[in-house]
Formats: sequence, C-alpha cells, structure tokens
Amino acid sequence: MLACRRLARPAFSRIRSLSTTTEGALTHENCDVVVVGGGPVGLALAGALSSSRVVGDNLRIALVEAGDLDKIRAWQLPSEKYSNRVSSLTNTSYAFLNDIGAWSYVQHERTCPVEHMDVWDGISDARISFDAAEIGTVSQNEGMARLTENLNLQRGLLHLLEKAPGVDLIHRTKVTSVTRESEGHGAWPIVNLDNGRRLRARLLVGADGFNSPVRAYAQIPSFGWSYDTQGVVATLIHRPRSAYEGPNTTAYQRFLPTGPIAFLPLSPTVSSLVWSTRPHIAQTLQGCDPSVLACMINAAFRLPQVSLQYLYNRISEAQATSTPLTPQQVQEEILWRETSHGIDRHSAMSASAAMGDAPIGIPPVNSELVPPLVTSIQAGSIASFPLRFNHTESYLGEGAGARTVLVGDAAHTIHPLAGQGLNLGLGDVEALAKCIENAILQGSDVGSYTALQPYARERYLTNHTIMAAIDKLHKLYTTDFEPVVWARSTGLEVVNELDSLKAAIMMTAGADGGKSGITAGWDMVTKGVETLDSAVKVARAVGGGIGGIVGTGVQTLIQRVSERTRA
Amino acid sequence: MLSPFRSFVRSPRLGRLIATHSSVNPDEISHFSNLSAHWWDEHGEFEFLHKMNPVRMTFVRQKLLEAARDDGTDPNPAQVLANLDVLDVGCGGGLLSESLARLGANTLGIDASEKNIGIARQHASTDPRLAPTSPHSSLMYQHTTAEALLEQPKQFDVVCSMEVLEHVDNPASFLSTCAELVKPGGHLFLSTISRTPLAYFLTIFMAQDVLRKVSPGTHTYSKYIKPSELIQFFETYRPPTPPAPVPSLRESVTLADSLTSSARPWITRHSDTYLPRTQVDVRGLIYNPVFGNWHLAPKDAWGSLECNYIFWVRKPKEIDS
Ligand SMILES: Cc1cc2nc3c(=O)[nH]c(=O)nc-3n(C[C@H](O)[C@H](O)[C@H](O)COP(=O)(O)OP(=O)(O)OC[C@H]3O[C@@H](n4cnc5c(N)ncnc54)[C@H](O)[C@@H]3O)c2cc1C
Repeated sequence: MLACRRLARPAFSRIRSLSTTTEGALTHENCDVVVVGGGPVGLALAGALSSSRVVGDNLRIALVEAGDLDKIRAWQLPSEKYSNRVSSLTNTSYAFLNDIGAWSYVQHERTCPVEHMDVWDGISDARISFDAAEIGTVSQNEGMARLTENLNLQRGLLHLLEKAPGVDLIHRTKVTSVTRESEGHGAWPIVNLDNGRRLRARLLVGADGFNSPVRAYAQIPSFGWSYDTQGVVATLIHRPRSAYEGPNTTAYQRFLPTGPIAFLPLSPTVSSLVWSTRPHIAQTLQGCDPSVLACMINAAFRLPQVSLQYLYNRISEAQATSTPLTPQQVQEEILWRETSHGIDRHSAMSASAAMGDAPIGIPPVNSELVPPLVTSIQAGSIASFPLRFNHTESYLGEGAGARTVLVGDAAHTIHPLAGQGLNLGLGDVEALAKCIENAILQGSDVGSYTALQPYARERYLTNHTIMAAIDKLHKLYTTDFEPVVWARSTGLEVVNELDSLKAAIMMTAGADGGKSGITAGWDMVTKGVETLDSAVKVARAVGGGIGGIVGTGVQTLIQRVSERTRA
Repeated sequence: MLSPFRSFVRSPRLGRLIATHSSVNPDEISHFSNLSAHWWDEHGEFEFLHKMNPVRMTFVRQKLLEAARDDGTDPNPAQVLANLDVLDVGCGGGLLSESLARLGANTLGIDASEKNIGIARQHASTDPRLAPTSPHSSLMYQHTTAEALLEQPKQFDVVCSMEVLEHVDNPASFLSTCAELVKPGGHLFLSTISRTPLAYFLTIFMAQDVLRKVSPGTHTYSKYIKPSELIQFFETYRPPTPPAPVPSLRESVTLADSLTSSARPWITRHSDTYLPRTQVDVRGLIYNPVFGNWHLAPKDAWGSLECNYIFWVRKPKEIDS
C-alpha cells in the first residue's frame, strides 16, 4: 500500500534500523534528515550526503517527492531528441557533481560544452563575445559551462543513489502538512505524508521549489516580485554549422527590450531556447504554429526591435480573428521588414533564408555572429514558465520553525538570463552537505541552528550578490530609452576592455572564475552596471540642461527611466 | 564569555557534600537556578555557550587524536572518542555531554543541580540517538558532585569540566578531584576565563552590565583563574596520598610542599618558553562579534589567552611515574 520505493540497504543497521515511536495513537518514524523535493537540488543533496562516509555512518536520511522518480530513472530519449528543460552547469557545479561521484552517471554525450559566448544589445547592437580559452582557469575542452538536460542530471543522481544507498526515497508521495511535535525549544517537526507515514525529522530540508511548503511551515518570510515576464522554452532543430563556422558550441543571447532571448547549443543540429518576454507576447508565440515560432526565433536574433514589435502585433491580431498567419505569410512579412531595413536576403542577418534552400559553400560573412537558422521545433517541446525574483530572509527556520533549512529554488529564484538558478542551488547543496558533515564530526545535533549557521553564512551573501547583479542586468537591458541604451553601449565597450569584468560575465555564462573570486566577480558586474547607471545620470543632467528649453516632459521621462533602471 | 554555573538545589544529600567539600558554592547556585529552562534555547541566555560548544569539541578531538598518534596508534579521526569513558563535570543542560555521546563516548554527565540534570535527561530523551530507551545510547546523567564520585573506584579516560572552574570556591581542591578521576594516561579538559582586565571588561562589564547578554551576577572577577596558574598547578601537583588540606590556588602556588607523592608531576618543563607538547596545551577561545561565532586561537597567538581559554593536560601513564 505504501507508494514508496526503498532503495536503502541497511548498511549500517545500528543506526538505520527504523526506530518507530508511538505518540498517542499515531506512530512516527525517526529520521535524521528529511529532504522534501526530488528536483535536481533535492536529489543532489541526497547524493552528496550519501557519498559521505561520515554521514552514512551517522544519519538516517529520507527524501520525499510528489512526482514519479521511477519515470526519471528510466528516462530515455533517442539521441537526436532533447528535453526542453536545460541548464548550463558551471565548472564549479560540474566539479562538485564529479566529487560526489554523480557525474559519471550523467550521460556525457547528451551534454554540450559552451566554448564561446556572444551577448549583444538588441537596440545598440553593442556586443561582447569571448571564449573559454580566454580564461586561464578553464581546463581544455571543458568549455566555460556545460549544457545539461535537467532530467539527464536527475537520472544520474538517482543512479548514484542506487549505487550508494542509504537514502530512503519516498516518491509519488506528497507532503500534506508539517506539524510541530511540541512547544519546547528546538522541537522536532513531524512531516505528514499523503500515504499516512509520519516522519519525525531532526533536520527538515526544503528543496521543494518556489512554492516551498517547508518554507511556509518554518514561517520564513521572503521578498521578491514577478518580472511580468514568461520564459518560453523549446528544443530547436537547425542545420549543422558549416566547416567554415566551427562546431555548434556557441551560446547566443540577445537583449531585447522585452527580455533576453538565448540560444543554447546541445548538439550540432539541436539547441535549446530560453526566450524571456512579456506575458502577452509569450502567449502569442506559444499560440502560433511551431514553424511560425521557428521563423520568429530567427527574426528575434536578427531584426530590429521595431519590426519584431510589428510582427508580434500582426500575429496576435490574426490569432484574435481566428485567421492565424501561415508560416509562408510570416516569412513574407519578415522578408518585407528586412527589405525595408536594407537587410540583404543572403546575408547572415536575414531570417528569411530559413525556409529556403540549404546553404551551399561558403557561409555569408559574419554568420558566426548569430545562431544558425532554426528550421523546426521538436514536437511537444514548447513550454513557458513565469519568471520571478525571490529571496528568503533567512535559510534557517527559528523558534516555531526550528530544525528547518532551505536550499535551491525554495530559498531563491532568479531570472534565467544568466543561467544561474540551478548552479546557486548546487552551491547550496555543496555547502550544506559540508556543514552537516562538520557538525557530525563535532558531535553536534545536525538539526540545531548553531550547527547549520555556517551553511547560511557561507551561502546567503554569495547568493544575494549574484542575484542582485543579475537583477540589475535584467533591469538595465529591458529598456529601450535612448540615454540608457547609449550608456549601455559605451558600458559594453568599457566592459570589453576589462578582463576582470569579462571574467565575471563569463561566470554569468557559467565559467568558474575560481571559487573565491565568484562574488568579487559578481560585485564587479554590479559595479559595471552602476557605472552605466551613472552614465544615465549624466544623461539626466543633460536632460536637465535641455529642460529649460524643451520643457519638463523630457526631464520627467529621463528621470522615470533612470529610476526604473536603478530600482 | 558566558559561563553559567550549573545551578544547585539545596538537597539534604548535597548539603552534606558541601560541608565536606567546599568547591560547590551555594550562592553561585541560587543565582542560576532559574536559568535551567533556557539551556536549550539557542537564541537565549546560553547562545554563546551553544556557539562555543563546537569549538570546544574540535579542541577535544584534536588533542585526543594527537595523543593517540603520539602513542603510536592511528585512529579514525571521526572516531577518536568512540568507546572512551568520559566524565562531564558540571554538565548543565547537557550541551557538551550530548556531543560527546554522539561521538560514541560512554558519557556520564554530572551536575550539582537536580534541576539541570532533569533538563538534561529530558532533552536527551527527545533524541533517538541519546534517549536512555535507545539501545545505542551511551549517555547517562547523575545528580552528584565530582567529590562524591571519588568515593567510587571508577576513573575515566577523559574528564571535562567546561566553564565551571570560575564558579567554584576552592579551585585547587576542585582540580585535584578532577585529576584523581582521570585514568593514568587519560586526559583532563578545562575551559574557563582568565583574570585579566580584558576578561573583566568583556565578561562582566560588557556581557553583564552593558549588553545584558548574561544575567548580572553570573561572573565574579576574583574567581577567574589565569592559564599560568593552571600550568603551575599541574607542574607541582601530585596525587595526595593522604587527603591533605589544599591551599588556595590563588594565594599560593607552592603546592608541592603540601602534596606528597612520588609520582612525577603532570607537567615537567624543560624550558621557560615552551610547554611540553605531549603533556599540556592551552588555547584561547576567541569570540568574533561581527560573525557572532567562536574560534580557537592559533597556538601561541599573542594575547589570545587574555579572556576565555581551553586547557588540556594529560595524566602521566603509570610507567612514567
Ligand atoms: C526557463 C528557465 C530556464 C532556466 N535555465 C537555467 C540554467 O540555464 N541554469 C541554471 O542553473 N538554472 C536554470 N534555471 C533554474 C533552474 O531550473 C532551477 O533553479 C532549478 O530547477 C531548481 O531546482 P530545485 O530542485 O530547487 O526546485 P524544483 O526543480 O522546483 O523541484 C522542487 C521539487 O519539489 C517537489 N515538491 C514540491 N512540493 C512538494 C510536496 N508538498 N510534497 C512532495 N514533493 C514536493 C516538486 O515535485 C519538485 O520535484 C532555469 C529556470 C527556468 C524557469
């Protein structure tokens, strides 16, 4: 009757022997660590803990997941098909996964190194591009990050847990509530499952994502906002790069005023899309025929903003009247817009070539500045997620919420523009596992606030710095107000000169700048953004000068934008 | 910085003990008797002690590991305490005792306060690893004094007494009691506060009077003991063959005259500058107010012994004597 699959072989039966206690009419099972959530972060924590001998000898661990982990364990796709949930893992995350022995269970051929990155501003066209070789710390052929399907990682972690048992995996089971066993200091939480089991937890870990029920139990407040943006994801199919262009290992990201669009390589002919945009545009895009979406993706990497806006409106109006545009009609619209912008049909900047013949011979000049033209979209791979910024006030529960700790998205959610969400979560896991191990060696109660404090201390500020930098970048780039764009482009020019800042931005893409340098790097991103911000202030001062002549209208406008940028 | 004494409840049995052994001070005790409910509030009165505990444990493990290596064995660093008989004198709510027991030591926590022992037992009973009903539990508590334990023949591999010394009335007597409870070749760990202007400033003026982190009356400056006094004590200390009247540690260090024994003292110094590494160590416990945590000062760090410190001394093996 129990929908539970127990992988744990009682290797250390002295401790792991199930201790069941009766409290009134209800029985509960004592656990040292209960992890709620079998997403990539929860599974990585279970994996890290199970790979430590000290932890294995001392703690009884259970993981509860609502979904079906058997399905993930058996997950298999033909080699040319890819899941739409892809994360770029930094070299730090990669090293950690390697250390705990998980990486050897990740199907390596399905991952792809990012060797180059091209980031440009959709308004000013100012561009930074750099490659992995520029950073000394990156080892050969590793790239600055590795694009990995979340499912590939989760499956690998599940296989690790099979090989290094010790974690009681309770899946297809929901946590229905968490209650407190008594009123005293440091009372243990009781985790109530929908299959009737009750787990009494020395330490309760919330790896349960953005809507974390553990966070709610622990009454940990969080602050944040919705970006009023959806992240549209899809698996893209395209032609291979020609021999002249090199392999498909370049990640592209174009900052549009509606949000960035990213192209993340997975194989020579497949890449992953993360297109952050306004909800109504996302809705329009998701509502079109997949081949129309393919055309729009090609256009979004190439056409000026004004034309993109026109195309969104065209498609949306057609949808509203139930006469959706055909792919041919959209191609014609794009071609027409290109002609009006003076874009040569045969140049790299033309999106309309997509539906035409396969390119022959030498590719057009500068073809490496834009991603390959998308020819189709993998069936069923289009989805979207609301994007938000959220950070809890603390990672540790106190008082009535004692013995709780948060990791991953339960603790923080960020905009995916820098591909850092999961990496932050894996950083949490590494720190927490280390903290738990140290606490065991000191004979501490691993559920106590004192034992967990080093984890919170190590992660909170680091995460906060990175999150603030990403948030500022997002705000800076989602405006098309001219002084800001101008500041942005000069800023990017400056960026190009500064190796250290470049290193920081490479970490944005997922490279490892050396662990200790990470926050320093991100601080620099923030400072860089602040430099641009002061450029905006200059613009505002100029605006003030103009004010006397043109009137206060311009001034107000500038002020509004610069405030928005700083907010 | 915060060193709550294990409070004392006037019980007829212990009343007798106080009469014969003067290290337990009834005045110290009435002050603390109301605090015992707060032992396990990590954010309350005993927060500093909770934070200090891992650092003390690190020192204990480190010393035991070093000593084992000096003896030519190579134990698993995670198991240096496993199966050792350990006594925690003045265990209070059981902060240290629980940690020792979790690391596998057969731990006996004793306290002169029945109330503290009650709290300690109650707390351990909520933890399946430590509950007396658990087959794995290696933790016991007893409401008694160190002096009373001397009446039994049992000795311990390790005797700890943390943040107690600064509260006892006759420290020399207390120290020799603790020393006698240690097996030959065993270890004695003490942590306390030094008698310096800095210690006065931090532990009494700031902690009690200004910040009110610690209840006023917790500490008495004149009771603080300097590391040098502890070292001198064990340079001269020999087990008293007939229980002799022990002079006050603070007034005199010429204990050798009153203690007669042929055994070698615990510390035999050949140099004025260096302490013999295999016999004794003393390290500062430094509180960082910015991060709100404690750390162990590096060996011989200048000025590190001016306030809280932890002391280790090893009893000579029988062959040594
Ligand atoms: C469009 C997009 C692109 C992204 N790209 C990247 C990227 O390139 N790089 C990167 O590092 N990150 C990226 N991220 C972020 C990354 O996906 C997340 O940070 C990561 O998935 C968080 O993992 P998690 O395990 O913390 O939470 P989740 O994946 O949300 O897992 C939480 C788990 O808890 C379970 N759960 C919740 N409640 C209960 C309950 N009551 N009982 C039982 N189980 C429960 C859920 O079933 C779920 O499995 C991206 C995110 C988005 C939206």
